[in-house]
Amino acid sequence: MFGSETVDTRSVSRGMGGRKGVLGCWFLFAALMTGWGAGCANQAGGAMAAGAKAEASGPPPLAPLGPPPIPPDNKQTPEKIELGKLLFFDARLGGDASTGCSTCHEPAQGWAWAEDFSRGYPGTVHWRNSQTIINAAYYPRNFWAGSVPSLEEQARSAARGAVAGNGENDIMEARLALIPEYVERFRKVFGTEWPLIRDAWRAIAAYERTLVQTDTPLDRYLRGDESALTEQQLRGKKLFEGKAGCIRCHNGAMATDFDYYNTGVPPNRRWEEDGLAQITFRFEQYVKGQTEEGYRTAKSDWGFYYRTKNRWDKGKFRTPSLRYTMYTAPYMHNGVFYTLEEVVDFYDRGGMDEEGRTTPFPENKSKLIKPLGLTDEEKEDLLAFLEAFSGEEIIVEAPELPEYAPRFTRQELMEAKK
Amino acid sequence: MQLGKRRTFLAAVLGMVLIAPAVIAADIGPLPALKYDEAKAELGKRLFFDPRLSGNAGISCASCHVPENGFGSPTALSKGYPGSGNFRNAPTLINTAYKKIWLHDGRIGTNLDDLTREMITEDYIMNMDMRLMQERLKQDPVYVRMFKEAGYGEPSNGKVRKAIPEYLKSLTSRNVPFDNGTMSTAARRGMKLFTGKAGCVRCHDGPLFTDQKPHNTGVPENFDLFLDPMNHQAFLAFAMFQGIENYMNLKRDPGYYNVTLDKADMGKFITPTLRELKYTAPYMHNGMLETLEDVVAFYNAGGGADSNKSPLLKPLGLSKEERSDLVAFLLSLSGDPLTGEQYVWKEPYPEEYEAVTNWKEVRN
Ligand code: HEC
Ligand code: HEC
Ligand code: HEC
Ligand code: HEC
Repeated sequence: MFGSETVDTRSVSRGMGGRKGVLGCWFLFAALMTGWGAGCANQAGGAMAAGAKAEASGPPPLAPLGPPPIPPDNKQTPEKIELGKLLFFDARLGGDASTGCSTCHEPAQGWAWAEDFSRGYPGTVHWRNSQTIINAAYYPRNFWAGSVPSLEEQARSAARGAVAGNGENDIMEARLALIPEYVERFRKVFGTEWPLIRDAWRAIAAYERTLVQTDTPLDRYLRGDESALTEQQLRGKKLFEGKAGCIRCHNGAMATDFDYYNTGVPPNRRWEEDGLAQITFRFEQYVKGQTEEGYRTAKSDWGFYYRTKNRWDKGKFRTPSLRYTMYTAPYMHNGVFYTLEEVVDFYDRGGMDEEGRTTPFPENKSKLIKPLGLTDEEKEDLLAFLEAFSGEEIIVEAPELPEYAPRFTRQELMEAKK
Repeated sequence: MQLGKRRTFLAAVLGMVLIAPAVIAADIGPLPALKYDEAKAELGKRLFFDPRLSGNAGISCASCHVPENGFGSPTALSKGYPGSGNFRNAPTLINTAYKKIWLHDGRIGTNLDDLTREMITEDYIMNMDMRLMQERLKQDPVYVRMFKEAGYGEPSNGKVRKAIPEYLKSLTSRNVPFDNGTMSTAARRGMKLFTGKAGCVRCHDGPLFTDQKPHNTGVPENFDLFLDPMNHQAFLAFAMFQGIENYMNLKRDPGYYNVTLDKADMGKFITPTLRELKYTAPYMHNGMLETLEDVVAFYNAGGGADSNKSPLLKPLGLSKEERSDLVAFLLSLSGDPLTGEQYVWKEPYPEEYEAVTNWKEVRN
């Protein structure tokens, strides 16, 4: 049945007239295979070149973080940022007006969600760990497997996905049009008569570009303040850059090479025990364009594979930044580790959890991940250093949101000619 | 219903029509029996009442199409998906399987499969991604069994769109005085008016009492559509999607104009069935008329005010008795309520999704 029904659901769309995201997904997939595919290849090539260079001269060093890149077609302005903040906290940008960006990216939970899998749209659970918004602006591609190329695109896809915001563009745009304060603000910022949903994503992205942290102890140290790191942290730094080899992937100002690896993270056991999670798991296989055989047999998140369809990319994920991780537990794409201690133990074992569980695709596991033989003291030192990637916790109060108002008065309606 | 018996009724009814004064060629009569597959309809019934078919698992088809209200909405404007309102009254689903064109503006003229998809996926109705729905159903062992027993194989969104229409075929008028010849004398007098002086049959013709064509009768706008932003947002989303120009300034429901974008069709709505009116108040596409007396008074005045109103509507000059006879006739087109277990799924749904126990070993 899969074959024919696949065509049906994906190409005919959710609604009558050919919209509803489904089509988008299919096109997106086509785009991946062509234009973006080329992009991926370039990126991979670049990474390989970088790898070769790393052999010779070592990976780029850790560096203090400067301001985030601002795309030329979405300049920052105070009014736009202000609007983006309101929208980020406004759950009306989601299907049943209950689940907005801040719902799963809660400031008090590290701008993420403190469970292994993110909470989902009501009636669902997500299948990946919610990522922090802090410093998301520096990534050239967003999501755990880098599936979107910008924060603007990211916001769009988050608000629409059935287990995330589950909102359709038309209803969200209609809601904005009936909130006079938004109409006014969009007009000022974007010059349109009525709010356009794509401008909402632009404003949100602009706000996200202000959610950065560039003054961690490590930044201060790297800018010359030698007292910013403790002795223990300095020992940890040495391990990070040497014996533990973390720097091979977690390098540069963001502590990531923006590349994709299989580090051996084991699948989340919740899929074996939790009916709701099993539903989302299969749904995601479907949405991500699996073949029928892939859909039938997948028992873990294939990560980067969904983008490239290369079997050697199964189980690969984007190297995440280590910044702000003090506040973003649990860790990894599926939140299997609840503390940084567990993460360090995982690396020390060579990419295995305490029961010896690892990736279902060991053939794809990075050669850079091997047992490290760290002593307990060295682990402590490394952990102390990991804390230097986080500064003060960033807490923002949810703003007061503008309200709906009727577009017409009764008088105006009575006077309408028929 | 047996075929032979039906013919007799039909003949009796047609006989009566023929002796009515000022005859308009009328084709009213009982409905032919509908065949349906029990197992498929039973599955469709469970789906119809299951809130897990909506995006947030909050509402089912029956939240808006309420069995006690003839499977229509008791409020003038239907509920919407949580977070939104709605802009039209939900029509009865009893006898909907006989129709050829659906929704007040007739924008679906293919089949109930398409219509079911529209209901499940539309933002302000059930807002469901059908791929997620399919996976939810696969997680419920009762559905896995029922789909199989119905000959559908594993649960799939395509088969949901077959099973629900099969269930809708079971929602047909039962034990209707008009069909089985037990109308009161007032109703019989009312029928003469219906086919004669009042001219209702010009549009409300055939066994369903509808020509299934669009007409403008001048029903006034329901201002709650615009005054409540929850309703208005659903309407705007709809108008946007239909490609109606200048939708932000629209102050009326354009009706059939949605479909043709031809000004001549502004304010036209598809003639609804007159069966089961006993249960389906309030009336009209926007619930603006509360009782059948109001409806008859509306027609007696020649319909509402609209520059595009049908020339078929003129003041009728019906007396008080005539008006009440007409109402009696309209009521004689309603049968038994479809609220028993044969039509309504009464068993509870599981509160949680059971996990597949040997998940790693079985195929998804
Ligand atoms: C239902 C929960 C949920 C909602 C609602 C949600 N997100 Fe997310 N967000 C997630 C999860 C889970 C991920 C990781 C998903 C993945 O990799 O597939 C994520 C990832 C992201 C990322 C990527 C960060 C990175 O490191 O690349 C950004 C940025 C983001 N979300 C912003 C938003 C915005 C803006 C909205 C509102 C329009 C939003 N999210 C709504 C759960 C949610
Ligand atoms: C081969 C490249 C590579 C090396 C070497 C490496 N990492 Fe990672 N790291 C990754 C990738 C890829 C992920 C994401 C894996 C996933 O989500 O499945 C990750 C995830 C993490 C996370 C979780 C971040 C979060 O937000 O969830 C931490 C913490 C971390 N690594 C620390 C370290 C430390 C400490 C070392 C050295 C002992 C190290 N990494 C070595 C690639 C690497
Ligand atoms: C949120 C309320 C709501 C829910 C839930 C809902 N409907 Fe409807 N339904 C309506 C409204 C309102 C209309 C009329 C819409 C219009 O004319 O534009 C309608 C129209 C219909 C019609 C057309 C009837 C006719 O005679 O034209 C059918 C059939 C129908 N719905 C079936 C269903 C089924 C099956 C489901 C569940 C899968 C469902 N509905 C769920 C509100 C709802
Ligand atoms: C010109 C065609 C036409 C004629 C003649 C006509 N109707 Fe209607 N009728 C309609 C249309 C179209 C509607 C739906 C209007 C709307 O929803 O705005 C309707 C709606 C109704 C309804 C409401 C049904 C419901 O479920 O909401 C009733 C009752 C009704 N008509 C009875 C009558 C009676 C009684 C007469 C004769 C006095 C009559 N009609 C004459 C076209 C007609």
